[in-house]
Amino acid sequence: MNKMTPAGQIVSSQTAAISIQNVRQQYPGRHSSAAVLALDDISLDIPRGEFVCLLGPSGCGKSTLLNIVGGLIKPTAGKVQVSGRTIDGPSPRDIAFIFQESTLLPWYTIRENFHVSFKFSRIARSEWQSRTEEALAAVGMSRFIDHYPEQLSVGMRQRVNLARGIALGTDIILMDEPFAALDEQTRMVLGEDLSELLAKTGKTIVFVTHSLAEAVFLSDRVYVMAARPGRLKTIVEIDEPHPRSPDFMLTTRFGDLRNQLYGLLRDEVREGLQIERKSSAAAGRT
Amino acid sequence: MRMTTGARIFWTRCAMLLAALLCWEVYARLWADTRFVSPPSLVLHAAIFELFREPGVIDALVTSLWILFVAYALAILFGVAIGLAVGWSSFGRKAFFPVVLLLYGIPQVILLPLFVLIFGIGPACKIAFGLSHGFFPIAVNVISGMKNINILYLRSGHSLGASSFDIARYIYLPNMLQSLFTGLRLGMTLTLLGVVLAELYVSTQGIGYWTKLYAETHDPAPLFALIAILALMAVILNELVRAIERRGLRWRG
Amino acid sequence: MIGDASNLSSRAIQLGFLALLVGAWQLLSSLGTISPLLLPSPDSVRIAFVKLVESGQFWSSLRVTGSTVLQAWAIAMIAGSAAAYAITRSRFLVAVFEPVIAGIFAIPLTLLFPLYILFLGIGPSSKVAYAATYGFFPVALNAIAGFSAVKEHYLRAAHSMGASAFATFRHVMLPASFPIILTGIRISFFITFASVLGGETLSSVTGIGKRIALAAELMEPAEMFAWIVFVIVFSVATNMVLSMLESRASAQ
Repeated sequence: MNKMTPAGQIVSSQTAAISIQNVRQQYPGRHSSAAVLALDDISLDIPRGEFVCLLGPSGCGKSTLLNIVGGLIKPTAGKVQVSGRTIDGPSPRDIAFIFQESTLLPWYTIRENFHVSFKFSRIARSEWQSRTEEALAAVGMSRFIDHYPEQLSVGMRQRVNLARGIALGTDIILMDEPFAALDEQTRMVLGEDLSELLAKTGKTIVFVTHSLAEAVFLSDRVYVMAARPGRLKTIVEIDEPHPRSPDFMLTTRFGDLRNQLYGLLRDEVREGLQIERKSSAAAGRT
Repeated sequence: MRMTTGARIFWTRCAMLLAALLCWEVYARLWADTRFVSPPSLVLHAAIFELFREPGVIDALVTSLWILFVAYALAILFGVAIGLAVGWSSFGRKAFFPVVLLLYGIPQVILLPLFVLIFGIGPACKIAFGLSHGFFPIAVNVISGMKNINILYLRSGHSLGASSFDIARYIYLPNMLQSLFTGLRLGMTLTLLGVVLAELYVSTQGIGYWTKLYAETHDPAPLFALIAILALMAVILNELVRAIERRGLRWRG
Repeated sequence: MIGDASNLSSRAIQLGFLALLVGAWQLLSSLGTISPLLLPSPDSVRIAFVKLVESGQFWSSLRVTGSTVLQAWAIAMIAGSAAAYAITRSRFLVAVFEPVIAGIFAIPLTLLFPLYILFLGIGPSSKVAYAATYGFFPVALNAIAGFSAVKEHYLRAAHSMGASAFATFRHVMLPASFPIILTGIRISFFITFASVLGGETLSSVTGIGKRIALAAELMEPAEMFAWIVFVIVFSVATNMVLSMLESRASAQ
């Protein structure tokens, strides 16, 4: 059964794959007084082998948090530990990053893209070929190995992009709204694929989304965030074994969880809209 | 019989060209003043029986062709070198890119008489003038190729632990390449323009001499023929650069 | 806007570049290492310019070149956008004509200049026709791109509201494609300007281009440089003003 736990609950740190400790992120504004507090004192532990979601309204800093975990942004304060080691810059041995849009380089074929990524992350050359072929076979894209990305549809490209992220063989995968550019049906199919692929591997996944259905369908645990400043609001656990079948979406439990998340976010979103309305009215006066 | 769109486009163009030549032929034979216009059939005749038997014309064509090659090669060399120097840092781009763009916008033809004073009327002047035209589009496109990069490609590279060299070699360079090819194509067009302007300005030798001669003696057939041959050369050279571009940018599909 | 350090220092470098250019000019001409025939001193150029203005030659040449450019530019704009409008009525016509127009623009049309002289003589009309031909291409190509970039659903919405062809053009197509067409018009101006100067340099009786060629022939470098500096300053200033207007128009 699902249960709500208070924010910031500490999972035993032995089992934590990622431990985020008192992370604060401040962006300098145009004037020193207008500095933006993107993240306000976030602490959370992500257990090994779990699929977790960061969910929240725009501006809650969920992407910023993901970038901090990936070592692409240095936090203003606090630290992130991965397997007990403090993150200081990208660590391609442990963490793979999958971005919003396909980051397949358009000037290389799919095969060359895999190889360049392996080269970047210093994987032994002898493994390149087999890893590429296995990963593409796993997502059913083997026959496109010598195509250029622009010869594939957006959905196919993102499918290859997922395969590439997994082929890097890291224990942790971070995904920044990987399905944002896709249509609803393609998202669902890719979501099912992902659930199936990852059930086998036991990887730790952190997934940023603003889709309620996606959050419920994919995650073991949803971290609900609030905006202005970005902070952790609650954690919702979703107790359903992987791989999940599309039938899960038809259950009343799915609907209840989805509504519960909507209830948590609705006020946040309303507040955000009002703030925007006020500030645009103010801008109109000047 | 159904035709593909490509075939329909091709045949429409052929029909248009044929119709235009036919109209011209009829007009030139029936109404036009023969001192100014000559029909396409006579132009073709003049090309084969007058121009190609005139060693002076052949010489002039060959000379301007190698002038063009030298000027274009130098334009590529300087354009890429200076483009890289300016485009390397964001500060360099900010400080010097607007300067390069403003210089690019100056009508360089006003410097043609000065070029003749400096370099004389020989090939050196034409090479220099072609180079000064072809240089700018190449430099400008190299600079903008280094500026316009999808930030996600860089972030993805960093997250994979790519070194600065890796990022330059596998991301910046190929990204710049497509812009560079655009520059090379424009550079060819403008180098040609510069060489042609200089050729026409210096009318005591080369192509300028022959066009002036034919125009002043009211002999339009060989004049039309000479211009048509030059235009054909220009088209072939442009297609050559395009073909190289297509090979280099196969991935654009 | 104020206080952006890197913006400020790049402005400083641009001004420094200009100062360096003028300084180098002054230094080289005063050292006398370069013959004053090729590089007259800035002061003699200033005197030559004042003389040009006072004798009225400056204004008469400027009037000839100016009116030639304006006529050619007007023809190029009207013919270019009319051709583009006609071609964009059908996708097939765009497929037939657009590559042809782009292809012709890629060969130096200056090759045809002797024909213009042959037909129209060495007066201004040959320059108007030649420059209008050159200026036609950027307007036509940009207007084709602009008109075909108008989103289909805007047109369908206008159609569903019963808009006439003219009203659709006036209120939907023109505003939607305006920024792209504006770029074409700006490029067309500079190409027309350069073509008129080029035509005058090659073969003409009067105009700024002819003055420059004549000054070179008569070995009057100060006068030649006076014209060159004037054209450079004019085109740089026009370029800055037009780019500014353009970015303001497309921001709206």
